[in-house]
Amino acid sequence: MMQIYQGVDIVDVVKFSKVFNAHRDFVSDIFSGKERAYCMSKRDPSIHFAGRFAAKEAGLKALGIGFSGRGIDHTLKEIEVIAGPSGRPELSFSGWAKKISRKKRIDRLTVSISHSGNYAVATVILTGDK
Amino acid sequence: MSQNLITEEKVYEELKKAIVETLRVDESSITPESSLINDLGAESLDFLDINYRLEQAFGMKMARHFVLEHIEDMFGEGAAIDEDGRLTEKAIELLKIRFGENVPDLKPGMDMDEVPALLTVKSMTQGVMDILQSLPEKCTKCGGPEWKTEDGVKIKCASCGENAAFTNGDDLIKAWLTRVQEEKKIF
Ligand SMILES: [Zn+2]
Repeated sequence: MMQIYQGVDIVDVVKFSKVFNAHRDFVSDIFSGKERAYCMSKRDPSIHFAGRFAAKEAGLKALGIGFSGRGIDHTLKEIEVIAGPSGRPELSFSGWAKKISRKKRIDRLTVSISHSGNYAVATVILTGDK
Repeated sequence: MSQNLITEEKVYEELKKAIVETLRVDESSITPESSLINDLGAESLDFLDINYRLEQAFGMKMARHFVLEHIEDMFGEGAAIDEDGRLTEKAIELLKIRFGENVPDLKPGMDMDEVPALLTVKSMTQGVMDILQSLPEKCTKCGGPEWKTEDGVKIKCASCGENAAFTNGDDLIKAWLTRVQEEKKIF
């Protein structure tokens, strides 16, 4: 039977940027090299980092791992948002995130990110047969 | 810790300080039993902020992977989490040994996403203490055997002043799992 898993997250960009800028390791602990390159190529990197962070949190929720409330969670980095050929974001899992998605036999991943004013929001929908 | 330079009370004080600065809550509202999520309203960015503050204060590295991940890495897929995302009996057994009374509500069959809300100020204090207790016998730079602390949080070599090199949180979890498995043969 087809199963649908959903996750949503909203990020306050001002708060995000404050934490992001306060800790040197944040960017490399949470974002992959590709994500960093993409965000840094934009006029306002912080809004793009915040949007991707929201997507990662939404991904954790959709996977049923729950939002990252255990510390500096490497799973956030394992949920990667890459810009597809058309510029639309695509999701990719590795490590623990991939292991959990394999358990749940998830085979399709979709993500959508949006921002307005001080907020970035993302939804993740995962589907699989089980 | 070979030399008892930082007490659990001091770690608790530092954690409270980080929580107050991050969450803007009144210090009096924090107790050892407080759940950071349920009682203090922490969200994911706050956890990052608090943990980075602790790393900086004490000069150490917290685990990046939760115990459940290490269990599956060491004992195979399905060892900690079943196909529906629920915690196995063995995973609960290990978590109970690890957190003991600091996290009393662990139950087999609970969903993975219920775990973060169970973590308390006390269990976080314990996590920091575990790392501080990995203080090596000798300074890794000059081999000096004495440690000192001026501010009560950062441990330095008494001879050359180098910061103490603690074992990182992930390596400590792995060593702990190896030890528990040898003793109790859970898997
Ligand atoms: Zn030294």
